[in-house]
Amino acid sequence: MTPRRSARGGPSRAAAWAVAVIVALLGATLPAPAAAQPAAGLPTVLVSRQAAEALNLSVGAVVQVAPPDGSRARDFRVAGIYEPTPDPSRLGNAIYALRLHLPDVLALTSPADAPKGAESVDAINIRLTPGADALAFSRDVNARLPGLAARPTTEAGAAAGPFRVLERFHLAIALVTIIASTVFLVALTVMLVDERRETVGVLRLIGLPTSRVLVQVLIEGVLVAGAGSVFGLALSLVSEGVINRFFQWRYDTALLFVQVTPSVAVTCVLIAIPLGVSATVVASWLLLRRNALRLARR
Amino acid sequence: MRALLFAWRGLVRQPARATLGVLGVAAVGALLFDMLMLSDGLIVSMRDLLERTGFDIRVTASGDLRRVGDRMRDTRATMAAIRQLPQVGTVLAIRFVEAEADGPVALTLEGVQGDTRPWTLLSGRDPAGDGEVVVSQALATAMRVTAGSELVVRARCASRDEVLPPARLRVVGIAEFPFELVGDPTAGGGMDVLDAACASRTDESDIILVSALDEVDATAAAIRAAQPRVNVATNEQVIGRLQRNGFTYFRQISSVLSAVTLAFALLLITVLLTVSVNQRLGEIAALRALGFSRRRVVADVLCESVLIVGLGGLISLPLGAALARGLDSILKTMPGIPGEMYFFVLEPTTLGLHATLLAVTAVAAALYPMQIVARLPIAATLRNEVLS
Repeated sequence: MTPRRSARGGPSRAAAWAVAVIVALLGATLPAPAAAQPAAGLPTVLVSRQAAEALNLSVGAVVQVAPPDGSRARDFRVAGIYEPTPDPSRLGNAIYALRLHLPDVLALTSPADAPKGAESVDAINIRLTPGADALAFSRDVNARLPGLAARPTTEAGAAAGPFRVLERFHLAIALVTIIASTVFLVALTVMLVDERRETVGVLRLIGLPTSRVLVQVLIEGVLVAGAGSVFGLALSLVSEGVINRFFQWRYDTALLFVQVTPSVAVTCVLIAIPLGVSATVVASWLLLRRNALRLARR
Repeated sequence: MRALLFAWRGLVRQPARATLGVLGVAAVGALLFDMLMLSDGLIVSMRDLLERTGFDIRVTASGDLRRVGDRMRDTRATMAAIRQLPQVGTVLAIRFVEAEADGPVALTLEGVQGDTRPWTLLSGRDPAGDGEVVVSQALATAMRVTAGSELVVRARCASRDEVLPPARLRVVGIAEFPFELVGDPTAGGGMDVLDAACASRTDESDIILVSALDEVDATAAAIRAAQPRVNVATNEQVIGRLQRNGFTYFRQISSVLSAVTLAFALLLITVLLTVSVNQRLGEIAALRALGFSRRRVVADVLCESVLIVGLGGLISLPLGAALARGLDSILKTMPGIPGEMYFFVLEPTTLGLHATLLAVTAVAAALYPMQIVARLPIAATLRNEVLS
């Protein structure tokens, strides 16, 4: 297997660099060539979309792949072009990669004098049968094979570390935005309620109790906050597509940057409606405490 | 000036409304201030960090400045060739190795070879003999070691899963490592320390730092000509690369959030002023009837907007600075970020841009209510006021 330290390079060193960023898969997991049948005798290779664009490769092309030192170069036929799995840890770096059959990788990278059976791989990905307990399976493997470390893919989230931090950062920004919105909301409701001072005063004078007026205000608040929430969600759904398309274009990735999931939508509504209603009711209550005659300016 | 005083009295007359408006602008302004600091913060901080190290040029095998790039072989020969160039001042080669100390505490062993040291000594002395190291304050705290203590580490030289026998190092000083990563404390010594920890002698390095006596670009070109197999980058080129790839996300996100924040502030101040003006139409018409000119009442509205935004903007500066500290501490937990780097950096231009954007917002937010006031029919408004 390619040593970890040599797994870097630049696009100008096409072949050496391509091997350097190899993501080796077990032969059995390679998808079948989609667009062309490989020529007999030439091993096949999959090329990432970015690498294919950078090197102007198409299905059926023959590429020469060699380790970083340039030795043992071999010809491969491009069997397909694939979209790399979005990787948050490589945001901003185009993924120039080839996928080779594991025996081909070992033939390219193992020392010529290496004894048979000395080859090694970085990792083995295992897909369990539906319903199987991944944690129990990994424990079983760890117990039976002490030299290996097995863990469920749900725990292998180290690469997502930066994005967990960004998630916390965005949450903090969201909190500040909510605080700012709340202040403005209270200011607006104070003004809007004040504008209706005379109407409220007249309602009180004709006999409506404070609680009745408050209920009316509450219902109005719910309706306005609900309409605002729906509008906000619609706006976020529209902006979701725009923002994703922009950042996907900017970073040449299939990553989703903004995703309005049902839980996010519910959270937004659960924050927005009580906030809007509370602001309305608090502002109204401050007004309703005053004398009805003063409210009606009589 | 009179209009400003008049607007001030108008705000004072409605303290709750004015206070809420100012606080709202302060919160939005604080967020805007932070986003402006964030847009270039990392770049400014990185440039500062690169310049503080005193080296102008970075020589690597692959151009990758992270510690996972290819290593350069024949370090001694490469350094000797670089040193022969008349434009070159000091040359320093560094090799990084991951290690683990009891605890377990993950750390980086930094082996150096050359004319100077990449760290700043805080206490004790520089390593001179075999097995001597200086440690960062973070490592000293984590391992509770001081000058004279022993530090036992297990290096991982070839692969992450490698288990080598422990190496016993002697701490001779505490030093500041400018590029020490958060959560990854550092110990530094000679290359022989790394060779001993790795139980193998190599002539490899991750990076060679060079200071130029002459013009930096010309020196870099000379190194490139002398050593065509290596990647040579000046500090400016490193910054340029980071601007293109590494840190653009924060610039983009700050641009988006700045735009959203400004739109939010604009919308809400417009609504505040419009509702306020609508509530005072009778009063404004009366002032016009008393002899106040159209320009004067329009100026009153503008001044009211300027006062709300101005006061809010002033409050937003300390608020934004405090918020930036909190946000910076969140972002600093991101792996691979040097502890001396900051995401939010205040520059004079940031203050200027913040003030300009808020001023534009104040004027833009006042446009619609100013139009209402300017077109106010005096007689009809007064008549309606009397009838209502």
